[in-house]
Amino acid sequence: MADQQLVTVTIDGAQVRVPKGTWLVEAAKQIKREIPVYCYHRKMGPAGLCRICLVEIEGMPKLQIACNTAAADGMVVHTQSEKAAEGRRAVLELYLVNHPLDCPICDKGGECDLQDFAMAYGQGFSQSIDPKDAKPKAVDLGPTIVLDEERCVVCQRCVRFDDMIVGERELVLKDRGVRNIIATANGEPYRHNFTGNVTELCPVGALTSKTYRFKSRPWDLRRTGTTCTQCPVGCQMHVDVRVGAVQRTMSVESDDAISDGWLCDRGRYNVGFYGSRDRITQPLYKHGGAWMQVSWDDALDLWSAAIQEAIAVVPASAGAIGGGRLTNEEVFLLQHVFRAKGIKNLDWRAGRQRQASPGKKSAALADIEKAQAILIVGESPAERAPIFDLRVRKAAFQKGAKLIRIASTERPYPAPIRAEDVTTAGQAVRALAKDIERIAVIWDGIEPKAIRELLEKLPQHAQLSTYITAEQPNARGAEALGMLPFFGPGYTRVSAGFDTAAMFAAARDGRLASLSIFGANPALHYPDAPLVREALERTAFLAVSDLFMTETAQLANLVLPAKAAFEKTGTTTNMAGDVLPVNAAQSLESPSDALSDLEMVIALAERLGVDLPLAEELDAVVLRHLAQASEEFTLGDDRFVFCHPEVSKDPERRRGDGSAIRVETRIFAGGGTSAHDARIAELRCLPEAAISKEDAIEFGVETGDYIDLSSGERTMHDLLVEVRPGVPQGTIVLIGGLPDGPANLFGAGAVEVSNIRKDLSREPAGAPA
Amino acid sequence: MPVTKVLTQGIGEADLRDMKVYRKRGGYQQLERAFKQMKPADVQSACERSGLRGRGGAGFPTGKKWSFLPPEIRPRYLVCNCDEAEPGTFKDRMLLEETPHLVLEGILLGAYAIESHHAFIYIRGEFKRGYEVFMEALAQARKAGFVGKGLFGTKYDLDVTVHRGAGAYICGEETALLNSLEGKRGEPRLKPPFPAVQGLYSKPTVVNNVETLAYLVPILEHGPQWFASVGTERSKGYKVVSISGHVKNPGNYEVPLGTPMRELLEIAGGLRDGRTLRAIQPGGGSSACIFEEHLDLPYDYESLAKVGSMLGSGAVVVMDDTTDFVRAAFNLVRFFAHESCGQCTPCREGGHWLERVLHRFLENRGLRSDMEMLARVSHEITGINLCPLGDSIEPFLASVLKRFPEQFESRIARETFHAAQRDGH
Repeated sequence: MADQQLVTVTIDGAQVRVPKGTWLVEAAKQIKREIPVYCYHRKMGPAGLCRICLVEIEGMPKLQIACNTAAADGMVVHTQSEKAAEGRRAVLELYLVNHPLDCPICDKGGECDLQDFAMAYGQGFSQSIDPKDAKPKAVDLGPTIVLDEERCVVCQRCVRFDDMIVGERELVLKDRGVRNIIATANGEPYRHNFTGNVTELCPVGALTSKTYRFKSRPWDLRRTGTTCTQCPVGCQMHVDVRVGAVQRTMSVESDDAISDGWLCDRGRYNVGFYGSRDRITQPLYKHGGAWMQVSWDDALDLWSAAIQEAIAVVPASAGAIGGGRLTNEEVFLLQHVFRAKGIKNLDWRAGRQRQASPGKKSAALADIEKAQAILIVGESPAERAPIFDLRVRKAAFQKGAKLIRIASTERPYPAPIRAEDVTTAGQAVRALAKDIERIAVIWDGIEPKAIRELLEKLPQHAQLSTYITAEQPNARGAEALGMLPFFGPGYTRVSAGFDTAAMFAAARDGRLASLSIFGANPALHYPDAPLVREALERTAFLAVSDLFMTETAQLANLVLPAKAAFEKTGTTTNMAGDVLPVNAAQSLESPSDALSDLEMVIALAERLGVDLPLAEELDAVVLRHLAQASEEFTLGDDRFVFCHPEVSKDPERRRGDGSAIRVETRIFAGGGTSAHDARIAELRCLPEAAISKEDAIEFGVETGDYIDLSSGERTMHDLLVEVRPGVPQGTIVLIGGLPDGPANLFGAGAVEVSNIRKDLSREPAGAPA
Repeated sequence: MPVTKVLTQGIGEADLRDMKVYRKRGGYQQLERAFKQMKPADVQSACERSGLRGRGGAGFPTGKKWSFLPPEIRPRYLVCNCDEAEPGTFKDRMLLEETPHLVLEGILLGAYAIESHHAFIYIRGEFKRGYEVFMEALAQARKAGFVGKGLFGTKYDLDVTVHRGAGAYICGEETALLNSLEGKRGEPRLKPPFPAVQGLYSKPTVVNNVETLAYLVPILEHGPQWFASVGTERSKGYKVVSISGHVKNPGNYEVPLGTPMRELLEIAGGLRDGRTLRAIQPGGGSSACIFEEHLDLPYDYESLAKVGSMLGSGAVVVMDDTTDFVRAAFNLVRFFAHESCGQCTPCREGGHWLERVLHRFLENRGLRSDMEMLARVSHEITGINLCPLGDSIEPFLASVLKRFPEQFESRIARETFHAAQRDGH
């Protein structure tokens, strides 16, 4: 900050100028002097527990802890003096008195702060001859984390993370004194969307990930820096590969702009699918109802021929859907090739979302921390953009921003994160301070009416930042690069083609001869599954590129094996418009015949006779279009509304008697990938149904019961009931994208509750009281 | 005899727990006078001029402690620390049980002095009787209109909340006490911020000991000069001293500060017949021993500090020639290790290690190198902890290790055991 006063401190003879109040441990970093710490963390501040960061300060008789001593003008600090070294040595000796020293079987070995500091500052021997205290070595804390109590140095970073950063307060310190141990509150499983971070915060091998335990030595890993593409935040991450497989992903601590140094559990743990045997390894062609393997040459011939045939009759009979999961380069070339052949039916939207670009009021992710009020319309970022949600929590918890959710049907934020739930935009605006200066609005891009109403009512004098949390990681890039029927690259206006809804309607009517779907699964994610099924079945030639045989791929004529994010190189655009690098992980093996979508599109272009930009110019072309965010639209812009009459108004509306379906996101619902890794099976959701208190009474169910839902002849079984405040009467909230209980099963139909029971037996419970 | 009855006046003679009795002897008059005739600043100034220092252990000037409160932030809280648990100390317990109205009047005066409208008293969990007695006294005072709304016809509201601890020694440390009072783990807080700036519920807070607050009553009654005229130059006034150990009449005795150690011993009836003095712990379990050559020292903060010990909470533990100093050291180290909250490393790990080694001495399995280790490690863990608990381990252990090495040496294991240990058992 500009108004901050600078002070000069001398550290080991070097003068350092830092803002007043800077902790010495940070000031020392400026001269590349590492002061060892266990409990201190840059994002959480000092705790003063580990006592390893002792330094000598002239004029002070005792050693001081560098983590909680603020730099003051004229202060002279010695980190390497005999006295400071002696203090550190003494503290390190104490750490090792009870430490098991089981480094040879410890996952942290090689990247352990206790090992490193003991080598650097320790004495090399121990005077302790008494037996060490034996403690449990593999305490199961929950689906992701195992605790070795003997190795724990009780720095409490994990406990503070759960308190200050996440606000869940699930990890606690139990017992007292030398028996102090990390545990979960009330012994409940440790479970939220950010648990894996504690394995990185842990300076020793006490907290380890179940997926990485005993998998590798750090020095055997090949590390690649890349961008996580599992949600639109775009966290920077390291991918660590050994024996051709992803062993783990790690956060990038310095990534203040995007991830704030954290990773969510999906980004961290949903990486096992890369090596899954379920991956499609070769192009598949459906012939006579059966799949047969074909060569890429044959596949490309079939594909290009189908497109040529279709456009030869009428260009409007061909189209493409997808792009939100591709790289910027892929999506640009994709629309380039199709547009070059006169195909206007292009849309990235394959799910519930209609808009991903916030337009003129777009802001950087970190800017949300400056907001005095954060208003959330539609789904919160909690499950759609988890790491962005941590910033929302930070703004509310640490910086005092007012957090308001409008008409939310989600679970409440954890208690320390104070969020207000209101039902209308008017109530939300009335809750704001009159002199408010900075407002942030977060929208899920789905229902335009509610967001427009809010934007109109917001005080005009306040500075506004807007965010859209997208369903697909590169949704914003796909829009900016022209994967929309009404915008070309750089939001240039083009003569409009069909959007997704119109394409499905046309297909259902038998008017679509060729449809290509890239990395999208509308059969599971589009609000109306029956419509999608019918449409895709009636499409003359459907080509689908994907990693797995998804619900959509199964309806295809041609399935193309695609490469996944860690297997290809390019860039992606996150929800804030940052263009971020996607790098192929070194030494990672991908299925033999898989091609990236870029390679597929280039090969297709060749067969269709479309000229492509020079490879070396592609990056620049893409960047130029991405920079062209000149379009003056805002959240809920009319142009983004699906134009097909039958689904345009409100796909979630109630039709007939019974309850309407509303869909919410969960990070481990499916997404098509997490289902293919048995190690994270415990993290995946089972079908749930959240209902209002009034409906609970009417149906005679309570939280914990199981129900079935049905509409016409379609039935979904075994949904766990949660009675949840905020859910309106007549609405049932389902988890979207669950392969075992697809929320889009019923389309727009109203559903009936049946077969109420206390457990998963098929027999109904006794008659409701 | 220098025994002076100020706070202890009437204890043993009359039932001071009865409000009528207490008032007949002049009780609550100072409170009324303060509310009716004095401004809070006057009470504060009287306290400052009296030279009263905190009687809980640290001996910090009370008036100065109050002056650290930031003037603009309200509300402020006064917390009376009645979590008396320092080994050897039992003075607050007596005051609470025997003269609860004096304690309450002191709390009310202290709260008025710092313009607090809500005072808390944190009573050690084990003081069940004291708690019951105090609750009764509080009820009587509330009924009489000394606690609650609009005291003595003024517009000043003042309430008192009683909180019982759950048996942790560390909660006597003021920031751990505040955490415990807020319902959190009893762990000392990282300072700064200090309680005066961010204390209870993050509001400016003063934490004062029972005895400290009780002295406000006689100070107002007799004037600050009366208090300041007693004692030594920097240790003013009186002190209730808990004398225990190998004396004929252990108990609480109130004396002017500066009374020679020798006289303190005599007050308590002297040593048992035929015994000789070995050591005295003059300021509770956390203080280093003094020895017979120190008997002419005046009992005040400075004199004891000068010889490497401290006055602390005023707990004098006398040890004669029957004392097993290895066992005594083990006993105290075990206490501190057990009571360590465990959040910071030197105290948690160091205390536990020292306890284990001393336990081996008890079983005659000590090593010669252990004696060096006991001295070295107990010294190394001192001064680098988050709170003073970890620093409390060294003084007694080091002083007896130095004075009575033969007692430790006699517990060293035979050479065979010694060798087996060294060979990597």
